[in-house]
Amino acid sequence: MATIATGLRHAKCAGSIAAAQWRTAVLPRSTFSLAIRSITSDSQKTTPPNLEVEVAASVPIPYQGVTHARVVPATPSYFSREPQFNDLYIGISKLLTKYNHLPTVPPSEAPQMPWTKLEEMRAQMGEPIKASHYAKVMRVAKRLNLIEPSLRPQEVKVALTEFTRDINPFLNMPNPITIDKFGRAVGVGKRKESTARAFVVEGTGEILVNGKTLSEAFGRVHDRESAVWALTATQRLDKYNVWALVEGGGTTGQAEAITLAVAKALVAHEPALKTALRRAGCITRDPRTVERKKHGHVKARKMPAWVKR
Amino acid sequence: MASISLRSLVRPSLPVAPRIQPIIIAAFSTTSLVSAAAPPAIKNRKDLPKKTKKTYKKKQNIVPVKKPAPGERKAFRKRIQLSNNSALPVAGLDALEAQTMARPESSGRMFAVPDEVVDQLRALEAFKSTQTWNLFRKPHVLVRKETVELMGRLEASLEKKEAFKCVLTGSRLSGKSLMLLQAMSYALLNEWVVIHIPEGQDLTNGNTEYSPVPDTEPMQFTQPVYCLKLLQNIYKANRAVLEKTPLKQDWSRLSATLKPGSTLADLALSAKESEFAWPTLSALWTELTQPGQPPVLLTLDGLAHINKVSAYRDPAFNPVHAHELLLVRTFVDALSGKTKLPNGGAVIAATSQNNTHFHPSQELALSQLEAGQAGKPVPKPDPYERKYDDRVYDALKNSTVMRLEGVSKEEARVLMEYWGASGMLRSVLDSRVVAEKWALGGHGIVGEMERASLITMRM
Repeated sequence: MATIATGLRHAKCAGSIAAAQWRTAVLPRSTFSLAIRSITSDSQKTTPPNLEVEVAASVPIPYQGVTHARVVPATPSYFSREPQFNDLYIGISKLLTKYNHLPTVPPSEAPQMPWTKLEEMRAQMGEPIKASHYAKVMRVAKRLNLIEPSLRPQEVKVALTEFTRDINPFLNMPNPITIDKFGRAVGVGKRKESTARAFVVEGTGEILVNGKTLSEAFGRVHDRESAVWALTATQRLDKYNVWALVEGGGTTGQAEAITLAVAKALVAHEPALKTALRRAGCITRDPRTVERKKHGHVKARKMPAWVKR
Repeated sequence: MASISLRSLVRPSLPVAPRIQPIIIAAFSTTSLVSAAAPPAIKNRKDLPKKTKKTYKKKQNIVPVKKPAPGERKAFRKRIQLSNNSALPVAGLDALEAQTMARPESSGRMFAVPDEVVDQLRALEAFKSTQTWNLFRKPHVLVRKETVELMGRLEASLEKKEAFKCVLTGSRLSGKSLMLLQAMSYALLNEWVVIHIPEGQDLTNGNTEYSPVPDTEPMQFTQPVYCLKLLQNIYKANRAVLEKTPLKQDWSRLSATLKPGSTLADLALSAKESEFAWPTLSALWTELTQPGQPPVLLTLDGLAHINKVSAYRDPAFNPVHAHELLLVRTFVDALSGKTKLPNGGAVIAATSQNNTHFHPSQELALSQLEAGQAGKPVPKPDPYERKYDDRVYDALKNSTVMRLEGVSKEEARVLMEYWGASGMLRSVLDSRVVAEKWALGGHGIVGEMERASLITMRM
């Protein structure tokens, strides 16, 4: 048994042995390729054996068509610390000077863009980008984004894609709640361990929770009030009927889960109520839950009593 | 050896016969006693003055507080307060009259309970400490749709010369006891004789004395002290009616004061001792069930408690079914129709949801009756339940079940307007507030609406 273990000990590190021992680049540089001008522009050598004139003519005259004594880099950022990033900046600044005259929209109306974060950009380019430089570039990019979308040139659109992430989280929206053919809107709400579904229809203010009336479902008047708080706060209690299903957790959690569920369904009926409901505290889910127990503690925070030895 | 062990078993604390102590007469002397007593003589180290530890603890400032006398706290808890001078008087509401509650047009209106009826109801113990009478200047009642229906039935029973037998049921705080109170006030206003057992539990939980009736098989029991109190309550509440109703039979064997011309009031008053309470009560009941006497309303609150096996035991220590208690049996016989009421009248029992226990046979009987009344399929008994009681079914099978649930929004509005007029509601009263309280009160359960809106006022 022991011999097998010792035999396998070598195999354990096989991966690390096989891997490259030197440091590898983070990512292959996609757009950056060194365009080095060679001194000799043509390399084929034709040597006519017979004629001297021809020989003389065939001798290449050096430095013809060459203006610079040394190789000129393809990009002005060649000697900088972050050439790709610098190129981006130059390109985008040129675009801004070119299209500075185009009309803009206020920032609130500009299309939402998933801008690349600093860390992400560093990883993409493999360059140690400074945060201040990044902020400068992003300021220009955001200014370009302010150009009225219908007048925006294709050039700008392409350039701005360099500054955006591949995935647009702003497209990741919850499905809107629809009102079905019976006039019901179904909202889901959660609080602590409880989950509630509320079916809200236009009606006369009848409320059933798990098939029971409010007074049967909740013993505390406070819980009853918080269950219908979304309707009370917007003064809609006598306009809708609620049929709720709730499970899990305790009474307080269930009541407040119903609040959220009813509010969501109510927004489906009357979208204009959303701000009022947000102010009433019926839109945001309360994230507080039971804190986990830790080892060495009696509960989440409680420590065992001190005992002298 | 044996004698020693026996002696050791004798309890030392046994009372000893009082001995005649020799009276030591002080010697006659004219000199006064030495004013300061001499310090005790020191004979050994134990008699030396002991060192006492000095304490630096602050002495608690004990203020002498008079503790309430025994029973005072309970009396305070159970007191019935029917008026409140801080509440505003509500003007413009009519007082109840004899036929008010039976008229359909008074449905959905508030009425004041007349003062003399309040006194009678108080004597009958119809008011409960859990009801919110203490928030208002004067007792008022809301006449609901169900009230009109019930009073119509009571009125019809007079013409049919037949008892109306009814069980009031419904969810918690829905007003069953108040419906009993309304029925009682209707009966009192119409000069019926009202007999009310305020709490069925009092009869069966073994807190009142009981004594067996000789020569009965199975053994039956009377509750003399309770019966005496009930007789006195009946007399206090129905004095006017009882005094003008002559006896039909000769009851002179009960009391020498009962002559052929005496009235029911004399009969009720003839029981001075608890031994004679039950014979007198049964005599009174016999008289009331004779044709030509005034109609009777017999009511009971807390039905589940009189349908169970009571806390009493017979001499063989077997549990006694509540129906073997004669007072309960009287009620049950009237409810099942075994005792006829030839002058009309009603027997009404109300279930309680707060003070109750799970009673499968009563639940089943009531649900079957209700389904039968509504023409729905009658629920079947649970085949796995062993505790069904046929006596309960027999007691309830001939009665009508009346279910009380929440009030309608219009009735709720009338009630809340009364609260507002009494100064109990701070907010503006509009349809939205009514709808809110109606919903918070579980679709108009009156007690729950009170909890939701007057909760800050409750003491």
